[in-house]
Amino acid sequence: MRGNPEGHELVGPGTLGGVLTLLANEPGRWTPIAGGTELMVAHAAGRLDARNLVSLWGIPDLRFIRVLGDSIAIGAGCTFRDLRMDASISADFPLLAQAAGWIGSIANQSRATLGGNLVNGSPAADSSPVLLAYDAEVEIISTRGTRRVPYAEFHIGYKCNVLAADELLYAVHLPRRFAKHKQYLRKVGTRRAMAIAKVALAGRALIEQGLVREIRLGAASVAAYPTRLYRAEDSICGRRITPESIRAARAAAMAEIVPIDDIRSTAEYRRVVMANLVQEFLSGLADAGNASNPVLAQWNTAESEAAKDAILPCCGARRWADAMIAARPIAGEQELHVAADRAWDAMEEADWMEAFACHPRIGERGTSNSTAQTAAWSNQEQASTAAAAEKVLAQLAEENARYENLFGFTYIVSATGKSAEEMLAILHRRLANDRASELREAADQQRTIMHIRLRKWLAQ
Amino acid sequence: MSTGWPAIELRVNGTHHSICVPPMKRLLDVLREDLGLTGTKEGCGEGECGSCSVRVDGELVNSCMVPVLQAQGASIETVEGLAVKGELHPLQKAFLECGGAQCGICTPGMLMAASHLLAQNPHPSLAEIREALGGNLCRCTGFIRIFDSVLAAAAANLNARQQQDTHAR
Repeated sequence: MRGNPEGHELVGPGTLGGVLTLLANEPGRWTPIAGGTELMVAHAAGRLDARNLVSLWGIPDLRFIRVLGDSIAIGAGCTFRDLRMDASISADFPLLAQAAGWIGSIANQSRATLGGNLVNGSPAADSSPVLLAYDAEVEIISTRGTRRVPYAEFHIGYKCNVLAADELLYAVHLPRRFAKHKQYLRKVGTRRAMAIAKVALAGRALIEQGLVREIRLGAASVAAYPTRLYRAEDSICGRRITPESIRAARAAAMAEIVPIDDIRSTAEYRRVVMANLVQEFLSGLADAGNASNPVLAQWNTAESEAAKDAILPCCGARRWADAMIAARPIAGEQELHVAADRAWDAMEEADWMEAFACHPRIGERGTSNSTAQTAAWSNQEQASTAAAAEKVLAQLAEENARYENLFGFTYIVSATGKSAEEMLAILHRRLANDRASELREAADQQRTIMHIRLRKWLAQ
Repeated sequence: MSTGWPAIELRVNGTHHSICVPPMKRLLDVLREDLGLTGTKEGCGEGECGSCSVRVDGELVNSCMVPVLQAQGASIETVEGLAVKGELHPLQKAFLECGGAQCGICTPGMLMAASHLLAQNPHPSLAEIREALGGNLCRCTGFIRIFDSVLAAAAANLNARQQQDTHAR
């Protein structure tokens, strides 16, 4: 035997009214215990502080799932098995059914309750990200009556919530309006069963005319309590899903979360993985709007060498092309751009030089390193120079030479849509850069060119 | 100290018991200490390992996490209830034949989790078996022989049923 059962009182009034009366008569004295999957661990270890416990198990008034027209009400005493087995939850709130299946094991799911999970308030709680994504409201009950609070405002600190001493979590309400919303859930842990989340993210978004009309991101294990990623939501709401907006959302998420180092993971790992999950969700949203691209579909299954030859002209650096091959299969256009960015981020100076060398000097045609495809794209990009005045071209040639002397590589600028005069002006300005800043600027221009070329490649 | 506590009624493997124990005493400890049913093992004591798995009113639970008051009036099945009149349960036979048991500590919990699975799903896939036993840890077998045992028991059930059907005709 472990723990000290004689040291604790446990009563079971058997009815909701009986429990509430007990809580009202002696506020603060009684600790509710539902399925016991949290408190019994402390009990066995001899560190259960609560001396007087009141059982919520087997109270029918707390264990119900009711579909009420435009919402669903889930009693706080429902077990995760109840949630998994309920057809209306699986249909309208698939992420909740999925999260319920991730909790502990079958034996834990048959005891652990939704209310217990929320009141316990672990930052890693499996049901919390989903409830945040679904705009859940919690209904709180006492002998004084009931009140409702948005779930996003329920937790107010590490294992602290808004419940008063005489109050009980009664039900969770979810609006039934997400049929057209894209939904996402991912838990990162050490194994599928039993593992507590290192990081988890639930997402829901409504996409209309290519714009993110509404988005929710609910996260676990990245703060003192489960939390929405408000800043990441704001950064993307109303915008199109593009590599740029995904980068902005990643940055916003990383800036707003406050993960910690603990036995399960490190703060730094959690920060990066959370950003990756945000990116994965958003990339999937973009792909959902695209028909699968035939060029991409063929490329995904092509032999490595052929696939490398096909994508290399979009950038020019062979290590970049290798990274793209390794990222296959790539599901859609947005994911392709994200993968290309990620691959470009990992490049070093030698790779940049290799990519730069594939471009003809602005105002010239062809380089020794260019393939037929590269030359054709360069011609399109620099079309404006064909019509440029001799004087401007002469100046470009002169300044190009100065630039190469100074920095040791070709002047790279995304030429699409720019006149020869504009490119000359930019060249003047950049000649004032120090080499390190200029390298960064050139690499950034190369990135822009890469994205333009990827679009052209897919449109072939 | 066993007097003074209100009586708790339990039905364990079909036998009715009325016991006076502290209501926060774990069902696991009541089974082992008060009812002498030591087949149910304690592993971690915190719901992680499944060694103490029993069925309560048809649900699989970790008996280390159930205060006995919450089992008031319940019908409980433990590993001792699997064999009927000395005849081993098909799962027990399969564990013996397939090498599904080694040191034996996890075995009662494995058997209960597996019997819970087969009660709901007589012919589970390997993936379903893995999920059903996901909360039961074994440090000896590497699990594969346990999964094989459950598959074999399910197949034996199927054969037995087919034979019954043949006899019935």
